[in-house]
Amino acid sequence: MKHFYKIVILVYLFFYSGYSVAQNPKDKVAELRVAFISKKIELTASESEKFWPVYNEYNDKIRAVKKNLRQSYKKGVDNLTDKEAEDLYQLDLKTKQAEMAIHEQYSGKIKDIIGAKKIVKLHVAEEEFKLEIIKNIKDKSD
Amino acid sequence: MNSFQNIVKMLILISIIFLFNTQIRSQAAFDSLKIKLPKHYFKTVIVLDSYRKADQKFADTANLLAKKLNSYAIKQFNASFYTPIYTETYEVKEKGITKSTHLLLTGNFMLLEPIFSGISQHSLIKIGMGVRWIYNSGKKGVWFVDASPFVTKDVTYESKGYFRLASTFVYSHNVSESFNWRVGATKSFLWGNKNYWPFIGLRFGKLDKVNFSIQFPRSINLNVPVGPKLSFSMYTRPQGGMFNFSNNDSLYRIGNESTFSYTRYELNTGFRADVRVSNNFNFYVSTGISSRNNVTFYSEKANKEKPRLPYRNYFFSKTMGPALFVNLGLVFKFGKTRSFYHEKNMYDVMDLNNSIDVGDNTGNTGNPQIPITPKSKKDINLGSIQDLIDYNDF
Repeated sequence: MKHFYKIVILVYLFFYSGYSVAQNPKDKVAELRVAFISKKIELTASESEKFWPVYNEYNDKIRAVKKNLRQSYKKGVDNLTDKEAEDLYQLDLKTKQAEMAIHEQYSGKIKDIIGAKKIVKLHVAEEEFKLEIIKNIKDKSD
Repeated sequence: MNSFQNIVKMLILISIIFLFNTQIRSQAAFDSLKIKLPKHYFKTVIVLDSYRKADQKFADTANLLAKKLNSYAIKQFNASFYTPIYTETYEVKEKGITKSTHLLLTGNFMLLEPIFSGISQHSLIKIGMGVRWIYNSGKKGVWFVDASPFVTKDVTYESKGYFRLASTFVYSHNVSESFNWRVGATKSFLWGNKNYWPFIGLRFGKLDKVNFSIQFPRSINLNVPVGPKLSFSMYTRPQGGMFNFSNNDSLYRIGNESTFSYTRYELNTGFRADVRVSNNFNFYVSTGISSRNNVTFYSEKANKEKPRLPYRNYFFSKTMGPALFVNLGLVFKFGKTRSFYHEKNMYDVMDLNNSIDVGDNTGNTGNPQIPITPKSKKDINLGSIQDLIDYNDF
């Protein structure tokens, strides 16, 4: 038991020391975003049941393709060889095509679930959320 | 009329081909990037749990065994895990719903030290590995099946091990996000001996908000999430099990038994704080009153030889008064998962998996994967913009 307490304290200190890093900002933004959207588009229980699995899958895919591209750019662009630059350019194009195709596919599915009016509301809510977050950051930096 | 019907049929066919074509193009574009998405909804979770109940004297000094045993305390360490091994999602296009099946491998190691101050110290272990299958119908219902075989043994002295099987079957119905009922059956050793119970559950309140839940025969909980990092709960739940106990102290004097059965149960009523330190780690601290402390000894072998007696005819049985207990736990989570924000059935899938603890125990990992919406945006800083790009097309 004594050892267990020591382990608890050590592990707690270890994780707490890196708390600001460990607290994933991605999750926080994602949670705020879905809460904001769900308030704005006012889904019925039946719509909600069908909408969220599809919307979550859509976001997972969009997030994955963006992350993939971002990671490729993270390696730096200043010292790229011609071949590497060409590969990166092609990846950029493919990513945009994939995003467009995913958007097209899932928009259709989502429209079938919530209808045209609510999908417009959804797009507006997504934009409003972006603006709100930018405003929040701007207010803090002023 | 016929030509109109043909036109309608043709239009439906074209739209199906168009939709199918869009999906193929989308999948092809996605596949060309060779990106691997997480397969599972569940993270691999490892829980280290420590439990201690205060020492209590046996009041009945007229009983020779009680006098010999003198006092009783509990020291328990439990390590358990679950990991997803198979996940399948099915989209039912005509109904617009998404079904999913989840198969998890579970494992458990428990070291139980019942401390009877009048006899030598015994260390009892319980080791098990099991599977659980959860099916999300995509509508209102979730089905849950768990099989947890395990072996118990007194490892301090030479003794034989016993194989046992605990199992649970539950159907969970989400009437709405705020109301859920469950019905099923369970074979459990939580209340000491082997028991077959009906499983009846009711929950009022959303899983990511304040909720009150009764899950007979496992727990009654009032959960109060304070924010994404902290959650409090008040609970009552049984804790116990059935172990084999070496007879080296000659507690059982009839016959030549090397091992007999030891059962225990208690009802823990307490307060618990769950802290989500990061995406990969949380811990909990809990304390309260342990009541109805029951301890029994019996020889299954000797009882079987007397057909008129039930197998659990005890040669020692005592129920003691309330005592303090302390419970601490560390929860480690590994792996990336699919998102399931606002999916009430997936929240219920998570809750079923956590409220019916691995290895026929009642630790409960505290639903660490269910997202809790932050109350403010004050922590969002420039670093969060990177994340916003992940989710939003700037």
